[in-house]
Amino acid sequence: MSAYVEVTDLRRLFDVSKPWLNRVIEREPRRFLTAVDRVGFSIAKGETFAIVGESGSGKSTVARMVVGLLPPSAGEVRITGISMTDPREAAARRRLRSRIQMIFQDPYASMNPRWRVGKIIAEPIRAFNLIQGEGAIRARVGELLGLVGLHPDDSKKYPHEFSGGQRQRVAIARALASQAEFLVGDEPTSALDVSVQAQILNLMRDLQDRLGLTYLFISHNLAVVRHMATRVGVMYLGRLVEVAAARDLFARPRHPYTRMLLDAVPDLAHVGRARVPVSGEIPNPIDPPPGCTFNPRCPLANDRCRAEVPPLLDGVACHAVQEGRA
Amino acid sequence: MTETILSVRDLTVTFDTRRGPLTAIDRVSFDIGRGEILGVVGESGAGKSVTGSAVIGLIDRPGRISGGEIRLRGERIDTLSPEAMRRVRGKRIGMIFQDPLTSLDPLFRVGDQIVETLRAHTELSARTARTRAIDLLAEVGIPAPERRIDGYPHEFSGGMRQRVVIALALAAEPELIIADEPTTALDVSVQAQIITLLKRLCREHGTAVMLVTHDMGVIAEAADRVAVMYAGRVAEIGPVAAVIAKPHHPYAVGLMGAIPTLSQEADRLSQIPGSMPRLTAIPQGCAFNPRCPKVFSRCRVERPEPILVGASRVACHLYDVTEKAA
Repeated sequence: MSAYVEVTDLRRLFDVSKPWLNRVIEREPRRFLTAVDRVGFSIAKGETFAIVGESGSGKSTVARMVVGLLPPSAGEVRITGISMTDPREAAARRRLRSRIQMIFQDPYASMNPRWRVGKIIAEPIRAFNLIQGEGAIRARVGELLGLVGLHPDDSKKYPHEFSGGQRQRVAIARALASQAEFLVGDEPTSALDVSVQAQILNLMRDLQDRLGLTYLFISHNLAVVRHMATRVGVMYLGRLVEVAAARDLFARPRHPYTRMLLDAVPDLAHVGRARVPVSGEIPNPIDPPPGCTFNPRCPLANDRCRAEVPPLLDGVACHAVQEGRA
Repeated sequence: MTETILSVRDLTVTFDTRRGPLTAIDRVSFDIGRGEILGVVGESGAGKSVTGSAVIGLIDRPGRISGGEIRLRGERIDTLSPEAMRRVRGKRIGMIFQDPLTSLDPLFRVGDQIVETLRAHTELSARTARTRAIDLLAEVGIPAPERRIDGYPHEFSGGMRQRVVIALALAAEPELIIADEPTTALDVSVQAQIITLLKRLCREHGTAVMLVTHDMGVIAEAADRVAVMYAGRVAEIGPVAAVIAKPHHPYAVGLMGAIPTLSQEADRLSQIPGSMPRLTAIPQGCAFNPRCPKVFSRCRVERPEPILVGASRVACHLYDVTEKAA
């Protein structure tokens, strides 16, 4: 099976230097933050690939680069074989664009509060000129609203008239309006209450079954990822530390960070559990530790881990695992 | 039963608005014993934070406590004058909020803030207060406390700041701590550290804790008993293990089924249709009746009173024995 999305050696630096005058006066060099460092993965058609990590791990930056909202500093994203950056493939990319959509954490921020929902959902249809004639567009909007569990009459309402969960349904309807086949969700349910989150997660899975959608799902919530994903990538400080099939990752986590993360999640099955939590916090990404970035918190770290960046081999980037010490 | 620290009976909080009074908390009752952690869980708008604010007397106008009573070690505190209540806060009731930065003054060193609290509520001299502040920082797990005591809040990471806030809450050895979403802003690995810390301190000091959160996983790990709130009322209250493993109230059943877990794979999450009612439109009878799968005619007219079912108290007509007989 050929990959639908192919990400290779993706890198993104952010310039976090002080203003020019300060640099001159204080004699400071430019400073860069490596938000994403040589990340590579592929997503098969119809699959849900999830990226999980704590804040500052670079997972949202990856999502933005995949959909083309942010140009990568290095590396490449190919979707159905078309490069998202190469200027020579601009024409093909333009045709591809309508098939890629993003769903954000806060649906309210991604909608024009002065537009009725009908107009919001119809916008991609008009922008890509997919359907001609007002009547046909209206019929399609009604159909999309029905698809996400809302009523066609809801198209006359404004975004503020909906609850958070309903708004996220509107955002999904808008994403599907352009006949999207690849949806990137950046924490799509993090702002929702659990009972509403369950509705949206179920809806996303139903739509995937019905329409054969491919998902890139970004979340910090491991339980949600376990529920949604077929494959999972774990990120820590801009690097992918482990990639595995969801079932394997949750049954047999290999990277020490993945193990720590899984152990740290409070879960309903752990009533009154006592445990020894991992010490330490994520270091400042401006000044990450040399070698494996997890080494200051890792129980298995040795001198090699402090000096040498472990490559992602066979789904895990860890010297200890590769040397058989884990 | 150990000594009861906090006793809340029929607490009702009303917000007077232009459109008439809105009842945010409707006859809520619970007790917290010495050294016990009571989890208060619910979705947004359930009234869990307002309950916490009412206990510490921080309900702002136009809200007011319009009924019921709150007793701290048998002494009524809801009728105290603002001045008397101010002395109870900090001294007898400590507080921990979601965002530690709002609890800390950015212009003062953290040590000075702890010393100020100690001096306001105890007879300690400046010098002993400082020693005590260092002890407190050490107790909450801040490395090199004798140096960090002179740091400003912005020099601490999120997890360390929350530790400082916990030290601040513990400073005057309160009998009760209200923790409102203390770990929500933190990453999972840090969250686990804070939960463990809170549990240990509560056990060692015999402090009663009211832990308000929307995260059932946190409750499962930290709390001894849990109150599930819905639309300003307690739907079910009981031992954590019982409520999670075998919830009785249909809302609690739906809520537990809606939470994706790491321990088991579910193909679909159970979902509760609809969303929490607005305060302006709380249904007659049981507030949950329009969303309840087991609703019957009595639910629409008569509000259920809490009934003892096993070790839990459940506000649901389904468990009324007279109902079954009829």
